[in-house]
Amino acid sequence: MKVDETKCVGCGRCVVYCTMGAIGFSRDKFGRPCASVNQDECVDCGVCYRADICTGKALYEPKPEWPRSVRGTFSNPLVEHKETRVPGRGTEEMKTNDITGRFKFGEAGMAIEMGRPGTGARFTDIEKVAMAIASLGGIVFEPQNPITGLMIDKTAGRMNPEVLNEKVLSAIIEMTVPLKRVPEIIDVVKKITKDISTVCSFDLTCKVHEGDTTPAFDYASKAGLMLTPNGKTNVGLGRPFFVEEEQR
Amino acid sequence: MSHTLHRRGAPGSLKNDFVLFAMSAKKINEAGSSVKLKRFLEIVSKYGPVNMGDMKTGNRFITSPETILGNAQDTSIVHGVFDNRESLIRALKEVKEADLGISVIISGLFDDVRECCQQAGVKRHTCETSLGIWGKRERLPDEEILNFTTMCGHGQVPFNLVKKMISDIKDGRRTVQEAAEELAKPCQCGIFNPKRAAAMLDEILCLWGVRVS
Repeated sequence: MKVDETKCVGCGRCVVYCTMGAIGFSRDKFGRPCASVNQDECVDCGVCYRADICTGKALYEPKPEWPRSVRGTFSNPLVEHKETRVPGRGTEEMKTNDITGRFKFGEAGMAIEMGRPGTGARFTDIEKVAMAIASLGGIVFEPQNPITGLMIDKTAGRMNPEVLNEKVLSAIIEMTVPLKRVPEIIDVVKKITKDISTVCSFDLTCKVHEGDTTPAFDYASKAGLMLTPNGKTNVGLGRPFFVEEEQR
Repeated sequence: MSHTLHRRGAPGSLKNDFVLFAMSAKKINEAGSSVKLKRFLEIVSKYGPVNMGDMKTGNRFITSPETILGNAQDTSIVHGVFDNRESLIRALKEVKEADLGISVIISGLFDDVRECCQQAGVKRHTCETSLGIWGKRERLPDEEILNFTTMCGHGQVPFNLVKKMISDIKDGRRTVQEAAEELAKPCQCGIFNPKRAAAMLDEILCLWGVRVS
């Protein structure tokens, strides 16, 4: 996001609509107060622009070049990811599991939402977490997730170096693992997140097993984590496009 | 894109906060799904949602319900927010009867959602839980601010906007209702619950001894 100095009246209404706190004020060449956007911190989410609060209509969104373009793609929910055509962070995860069968019996979906809530994340931190998880070996990052698409080495979790200094509102590192690997993923995330400059939210997905149970959640509890009482439930009304296997 | 997960708050505050939403799966059943997504929104809108929206069009505080319905596309994700179990159950029952074949998801307290599913005659298929916030938590504002902002999983409700709304109410520049609706506007998908926000604003102001007429 940028500010047209010739239009800005310095009213300051945009400041609180910035998700990253990246809007400040300086003096223009005539000494008038004028908003300015810290381009390094701005994630191109478009919230200030869409809020339609700019008195002088001074906010504008130039079309970004690569690699800056990844900022808006991950941060502005109106933008669809080219790879997955899913807006937002670009992955359907468990929402369509009744149709896709992405998560099966005996498996857990695990996702680390870097930069959520509200602090944003640079790809240096995203890479750090992805590589720590990949170092466990045998990890397959979700192919239908745009973060995986930005990895130049999907086995090692290494990101395209061109995007490393880019910052996004949030981005999801996502994988499916056998249930028994849940504790080791938790353990590695626990360690590596002590060494990042932002926050992340951690998700755990499980297909509902026999007896209306979710064994992945039990693994997390046994690992000492407190599960939140709220979450998401896919209620299975989608028509399956896969063969639903029997639970072993 | 777990945009309705990670809503924070005490169970008492989350109790009357349900997001019912639907989408088709890309490259599988998306073709022609706009009609089904529109039908889903028609059903949801019958049962008095406190918010509704489609990421592609916006929420009902920035556009009309008719526009949201009319603009449903094959790649849309459409949402309705309910502030009570009864409405959720009735909407879910009708969605089931409509047999749309698209994925339907509910966010809310697991125990409540499980009971609602039973009463509506549907079975839980897959669940997703939050394992909390990790990393540099010292960068976060107070929990009472997060309770508002995490109602938009895409992070479109800025921390500073919540603080500004609280300040505006204290200074008599906005009512609690107006502030709650202003907070709902940036959440494009329409999953922000303005009724819960108003209740939380009331609670904060009460703690601070502010009387709002």
